[in-house]
Amino acid sequence: MKILIVDDFSTMRRIIKNLLRDLGFNNTLEADDGLTALPILQAGGIDFLITDWNMPGMQGIDLLKKVRADEKLVSLPVLMVTAETKREQIIEAAQAGVNGYIVKPFTAATLKDKIEKIFERINTQ
Amino acid sequence: MQADSKAAQIEAARALLAALEQDDDATVKQQLAMLSESRETALFQEVGKLTRELHEALNNFKVDSRLVDLTHKDMPDTRDRLNYVIETTEAAAHKTLGFIDETLPLANELQETAAKLDASWQRFRNREMSAEEFRELSREIEVYLPSVSTHARQIHHNLSEVTLAQGFQDLTGQVLRQVIGLVEEVEDNLVRLVKLAGQPNPTSKPAEVDPLKAEGPQINANKKANVVNNQDDVDDLLSSLGF
Repeated sequence: MKILIVDDFSTMRRIIKNLLRDLGFNNTLEADDGLTALPILQAGGIDFLITDWNMPGMQGIDLLKKVRADEKLVSLPVLMVTAETKREQIIEAAQAGVNGYIVKPFTAATLKDKIEKIFERINTQ
Repeated sequence: MQADSKAAQIEAARALLAALEQDDDATVKQQLAMLSESRETALFQEVGKLTRELHEALNNFKVDSRLVDLTHKDMPDTRDRLNYVIETTEAAAHKTLGFIDETLPLANELQETAAKLDASWQRFRNREMSAEEFRELSREIEVYLPSVSTHARQIHHNLSEVTLAQGFQDLTGQVLRQVIGLVEEVEDNLVRLVKLAGQPNPTSKPAEVDPLKAEGPQINANKKANVVNNQDDVDDLLSSLGF
């Protein structure tokens, strides 16, 4: 499984990458905002997207909307990992079709739990 | 000075000169009064204009709501934000050091026991060990091997926690970027203030609030009604939406 990690802070990308490696996901790619992530996604081959919300260039919520508007990417599982905690934002992300929402700071157990839930749901569909 | 009043003054001056030459006292007084009156009118007009400009400048100063906002809201917010940076970096440093404190004895214990077993093992290989000593060594190895496994698991867990604690860099980085933005805005406003006396600026309108605008980590989250406090709140909200 190939996972794209999108966050403008390289430290956070590295943290998520290390935690994913612990969970057995060794194949990861990185992008620092929506604008650089989108061409990587459109090129194909990405199975799972983990994105921050607050980034310069294209924000995570706009990346999510672009993904859902693209017929090739419409069913790509998307997990948002962000410090944005306003109710309006969480509802907006849910309505835009996010598959999971994790607030920073988070724990390794939360990341594992949300990823498992996302794939459980996809497998039962 | 307006052309009309200038022409009137020239006319009054000529009439004054003519009246002086003709020794016409009444007309001299009349023309002198007219001239000084027109001079006072120009002065009053100038004072009036200055008063209006001052009034507008003061009004602009008062109604520039962004400046008021900056002073009353953003500055105290910024103090909270910078305190958040101190608290978050402090907590992350303590968390990291705590896990290091917890991990070092585990590594030491593994190393010390391994060194002891190694010495005994060498004695056994050199046939310097009695049967009783060998039984003791076997017991020690039996205890040691599972402890290697639990210690290694614990060390792995502690290192993962240290990794997670580095998330402070992202969280405080977002907050510091906001503070930099505010400092730039204050600078712009100060420059505008300096220019204000010369050329009054149009009143700035308060910016519309976009509820979806990314705000980074929430400071004093528990005092804000529309902000969730933790992952459980997020999960509750999402499940209420049918997730």
